[in-house]
Formats: sequence, C-alpha cells, structure tokens
Amino acid sequence: MLKIEHLTKTYGEKKAVDDLSLQIAPGEICGFIGHNGAGKTTTLKSVAGILQFDAGEITVGGINIMQDPIACKREIAYIPDNPDLYDFMTGRKYLDFIADIFGVDMETRNARIAEYTGLFELTAALEQPISSYSHGMKQKLAVIAAWMHTPRLILMDEPFVGLDPKAAHLLKEMMHRICQEGGAIFFSTHVLEVAEKLCDKVAIIKSGKLIRYGTMDEVKGDDSLEEVFLELEDTKEC
Amino acid sequence: MLKVLIKKQLYEIFRGYFTNAKTGKARSKANTTVMFLLFAVVMVALLGGMFGALAVFLCGTLCKAGLDWLYFLLFSLLGAALGVFGSVFNTYSGLYLAKDNDLLLSMPIPVKTVMTARLAGVYLMGLMYSATVLVPAIGVYIFFFGVTVARAVGMLGLIVVVSLTDMFLSCLLGWGVAKISLRLKNKSFVTVAASITFIVLYYLVYFRAMNWLQDLVSNAEMYGEKIRTGARVLWKIGSIGAGDMAALAICLTVLVAALTVVWRLMAHSFMKIATASATTEKRKKTGAKQFKQHTVPQALLIKELGRFTASANYMLNCGLSLLLLPAFGIFLLVKGEYVLGVVVQVFGERSGSTCVLLTAVLCMLNSMADMAAPAVSLEGKSYWLLRSLPVSTWEILTAKLSLQLLLGGVPAVFCGICGAIVLPGTVVEKLFVVLIPLGCVALFACVDLAVGLKNANLNWTNELYPIKQNVSIAIALFGCWLYAIAVGGAYMWVGWNIGPVWYLLAVLALSAAGTAVLYRWLMNRGTVCYEKL
Repeated sequence: MLKIEHLTKTYGEKKAVDDLSLQIAPGEICGFIGHNGAGKTTTLKSVAGILQFDAGEITVGGINIMQDPIACKREIAYIPDNPDLYDFMTGRKYLDFIADIFGVDMETRNARIAEYTGLFELTAALEQPISSYSHGMKQKLAVIAAWMHTPRLILMDEPFVGLDPKAAHLLKEMMHRICQEGGAIFFSTHVLEVAEKLCDKVAIIKSGKLIRYGTMDEVKGDDSLEEVFLELEDTKEC
Repeated sequence: MLKVLIKKQLYEIFRGYFTNAKTGKARSKANTTVMFLLFAVVMVALLGGMFGALAVFLCGTLCKAGLDWLYFLLFSLLGAALGVFGSVFNTYSGLYLAKDNDLLLSMPIPVKTVMTARLAGVYLMGLMYSATVLVPAIGVYIFFFGVTVARAVGMLGLIVVVSLTDMFLSCLLGWGVAKISLRLKNKSFVTVAASITFIVLYYLVYFRAMNWLQDLVSNAEMYGEKIRTGARVLWKIGSIGAGDMAALAICLTVLVAALTVVWRLMAHSFMKIATASATTEKRKKTGAKQFKQHTVPQALLIKELGRFTASANYMLNCGLSLLLLPAFGIFLLVKGEYVLGVVVQVFGERSGSTCVLLTAVLCMLNSMADMAAPAVSLEGKSYWLLRSLPVSTWEILTAKLSLQLLLGGVPAVFCGICGAIVLPGTVVEKLFVVLIPLGCVALFACVDLAVGLKNANLNWTNELYPIKQNVSIAIALFGCWLYAIAVGGAYMWVGWNIGPVWYLLAVLALSAAGTAVLYRWLMNRGTVCYEKL
C-alpha cells in the first residue's frame, strides 16, 4: 500500500530525513516512533504530499506522489499533530467541504456524518463554529473528516493527543476496522504502550535515519518496545 | 515584564521592517533603514504635506486675528478624529482578538500588564496619527510666529493631550464594540455595517469640511466668540497650543481621570471578553437538508467566500468596492448628467475626456477590491489542509482568483452599465465604460494574487497583519490607484490626440496582455511558489 524508498529531505543544511525506506502492506498498522525532531512529521508530510522532498520515491497503491499527487491524495487521509482546521467554518460545513473535495455523495456523507459524530459525541456541536471547539473536539472532527471518503491509507501524527479515553478507544477500533477492510495506517506516537498493542509493524527513527523497522516481534523480540526504544536512543547507532 | 511585552508588541507591529516575510530571515540594517525611510516619506511627505498645506491656509488668517487657540483647536480636532478613525478597530482586534491572548494569560503575568502592553501599541498608533496632523501645524505656526518657552511646552503638551484623547476614545469605542460583539449574531456583518456607517459619516464630514473651513475663516471672530462663551472646554484645549499652562494642567488631569475610569471598565471585563468563545453565532438546527453537494472548484470557492464573510476586517479592508461601486453607479444614475456635464465644461477641449475619466474613476473605485492579496497568507496554520487534499495547487489559486473576479467583477459591471447609461457618447464609448473596469478587475485579481504569493506570510498571531500590514495589500491598493491615474492622466496628456475609442482600445489591449502574462506566471511559477511555502 505504501512504499517509501530512499526518502531524503533537508532543511537548509540539516538532513531531517536521511535515506529512509519502508513498506506497509494493506491491512497493516505501522507505528512510527522517535524522539522529538527525529523526522517523523517530515516523513508523514512528505507522504501526504504536503512537503516536497529532495530525493527518493513514495508510492501509495502503486501511484507515485510526485508524478500524480492528486490521484495519490485521493487514496490518503492525513491528520496532523495539531488540528488547525478552518476556524471560520462550522463543524458541519467543514465535513461537507471535505466530502465535496473527495466527491462523496450526499447520501453517503450524511450517513457517515451521522454515524461518526454520534460515536464521537460531536453531533450537538456540529453547527457551532470550529473556533469554539476545544483541542479534543477539533481532533475528533479531524478524525471524522479523515474517515469521510474511506481512504486506503491513513496517515496520523500523534492522533491520540487531546482525545478523551473513550474517543481514543473508539479511534483504535476504527483503525482496526479500516485495516480489516484492506486499508493501511501509518501513524506516529510517543505512547509506546499504545504502539505495542496496536501495531503490526513498527519503524524507529533517530536523527532522520530509520534505525529499526519490521514487524513488532522482529523489532522488540522478548523485550518491551519501551526497553528497545530507550536502548536505541542511548546508543550512538544511527 | 512590561518592557518585554511592549517590545514584543512593537516587534509585532513593525515586524515587516525587521524581518523578510518571505524568507523569515532578518533584514540587514540598511534594508530596515530604507523600509523606515519609506514609511516616514509616506507619513511625512504625503499625509504631513497635506495637513501642512491646510495649516498654511489657516495659520495666517486665524493667528493674525489673535485666534491662535482656534487654529490649534481645529488641528487638535482633526488629529483626534484621524487617530480615532485609524485605531478604533485596531483596539478591538489587537486587545481582545490577539491569538496569543491565551498564551500570555497562561503565564505568570498580571492581566493588567498584558492590557497595558497592548494599549501601549494603541497609544503609539494614536500618537502617530495625531502627530501627523499636529506636527505640520506646529511647524507652520513656528515658521510664521516664532516660538517661546511657554508656547513650546504648550505645543508639546497639546500633542500629548490629543494623543491621550485618541487613546481614551479608542479604548472606549473598542471596549464598546467588544461588549456589543459578545452579544451579537452575525458579528462580521454587523461590524461591517457599523464600520461603513462610520466611514460614510466620516466622508460626509470630510467632503463638507472645506466649505465649513472657508465659512469659519470668513467669520472667524464670530465663531471664536461663540466657542469661547458656549464651549469653554474646546477653547481651553485650543489655548494649550498657544501656551496656556493652566489649561494644559486641567486637560491632563481630566484626561488621566477619564482614562483611569475606562481602564477600570476594561480591566473588569478583559478576561471575560478575551477568552470568550464564538458560541454566540447563530445556532441552527442540526440537519443535512440545507447542504448540497458541490464540485471541487465550487467547494473551494465557497470556502474562500466563507473566509471572506467570516471576518469583518477582511471585508472592510479588502472588499469596500463591493459597496462603493454600486453606490457610485446609483449616484451616476441620479446625478450623473450634472457631474459629467461639469467634466465636459472643465475638460471640454480634450474630446472624449468624459468617457476616459469616467472609466478611470471606476478603475480607482475597484482598488478597494483586493481580497486575493492576503488570501494566501490567511491560510496561516491551516495551510497543510488544502495541501493534503486531492486538489491541484492551481485549483487552490483559481478559487482565490475567482473570488476577486466575482466580487470585483459584478459590481464593476453594474457600475459600468450605470455609467454607460448616463454617458453622452457613442455605443462603442459606452461599451468601453463597461469593459475597461472589467479589464482592470481581471488584471488586478492576477496582480493581487501574485504579490500575495510573493509576500506570503503564514505565521501571524492576528489576522490584521496579513490583511492590513502586509506589503502586498499596499501594492494592491496603490498599484490600482496608479493604474487609474495613468489611464486618465495619459489621455489628458497625449492620448486625446488619437481619440477615446482607439485610446481605450489600447488600454484594454495592454490590460489584457498584462493579465495574460500574470495568469501564465500564476499557473507556472505561482503554483511552485505556493507549494514551497
């Protein structure tokens, strides 16, 4: 589903991502972990087509993001670490805007909006301007928007930050469900326990370089993911 | 603490002078100096020169008649009016709507310190405006009548009094606007309506001011006596400039007391207003029946329109033509024959000048439709959103362009048709009265978007920065003025030799060529520019 080959992105003279390669198959949830400033957001933004990268290749479902970004983005949903949505819209208008862009018909969008806003207990706030939402409410709205067009690949940057426990649980269920239907998920997190329980694969990035990548069992062996991560952080390996 | 906050406040106001918005890098000292010099030229040479000329006109007559106080009073009132006009909405948005309010309020900083720092910015803006009026007036007075110690203290005191009056009125009005807006539904439209009423009143006074001034100069002694006996407060304010120390002391005492009262009022409600969420917006029943499915271009255009109508600042600063052009069209229908008759009388020897000057005026009025200029910067922190969606960069830019074409084009066509109805000319000339402003709309939609892209700044804490203080807005506004002046001026200079039809055809062709070049630039380089933000 997602194939990243030799991705390199520099800011000035600093290499934010250095020759990173990984693959995620349909049905897989891949966790992306690393210290602050390791290059997680840069990688996710490059895959989402927001950032232009210097070298490498990214394909989603066989479509190259540089060659056909529009077709590629139709298969993707991206949730950033800080949900800066359009404050001037109401929640409903925002969801309609997203649905319009992805060409979701009225019947389907109404059904999905009703279902997901009900699940996330956001129905009552849907006609309020987004500027009045809390961080958690914006995060919920961003999740609902991401699920509007049943994407094949969902990219999420710290998706659980700001969500209440019930919403976080719900999101995990939705992640499983979309993978069971053939989708894939690539998300960054600092909550290693969540990554350990949720992910089929894990990628550990340090100073822009991928230092561990594989199935959860391959990466952590008999240790906990936290132990492996802390050990890798302490070593000079990168 | 206060010093740090004021420094931050000043840096925000003048950030564009120290930092290149495009690259985010600090400007060189030479570059910063040039920027400040340009600013000084605009303030001193243009505005200051205008008030200096007025001062020369009034100073001789009033001061020779022993009415020095009336001279200073007139300029004090002008300074106060300009200051309040310039800063009342800045007070509201700068004080209560700043995006870093939450951040500052979360820090161990007393609320009053945050308020003081913000109000320091308001005071400086008021001081700048009032000084623009008073300094030329004082200069002219000193030139003709010299200066004594008492007068020098009085004149400086007058600047302080006027700037404090500005601050008092701006704070009071800004606080009033904030209190009202807390209870309002459809805040943006109500704010726009109130602002436009204010602007209309301002211009009504402005256009009649010359008649009033001439009347005042002719009957200066009578009016002076009336004010001295009937409005002693005004007399005392004017006397400050003439060196009345007692009046200065009284005025300063009263102003300090008045400011203290307003300060207490504002401090009492600051937290409540600054931290209020937007839940007073119109509540509708939840339901999907009012929503329709749209195509991608439609959805993007609706999004841009939503951004425009959601912000009173955006509408007021970038969309006044939407009202001015239709209003002028109606004015033309009612009084057009008389106005155009006067133009014929004045410029009669230049055949076809009525038609060309009318198109130039319509182009001038279009200068206040420049919503494309800040549109890119206004994406701000939500820039990621459109970039992550399956829309091409050109579609994003087209939506921004379309908004200006639509909101600028429809009023321009309406006004052009009104002009064509009253214009005593041939059918071809009438056609140009519609086509030239339309060409201007198209050209400046492209110009505005291009300069907006080249000077895009996504990092702002108050939307006033992209809307009012970004250089792209100045280029958009003054560029269109220059265009209009060039269209009218070039015809009066040499263009009349070839007649209005061929001249306007050449203008239209040049505008179309310019539009085509810029359109192509936007499609190619502009999209790259947007993607690299």
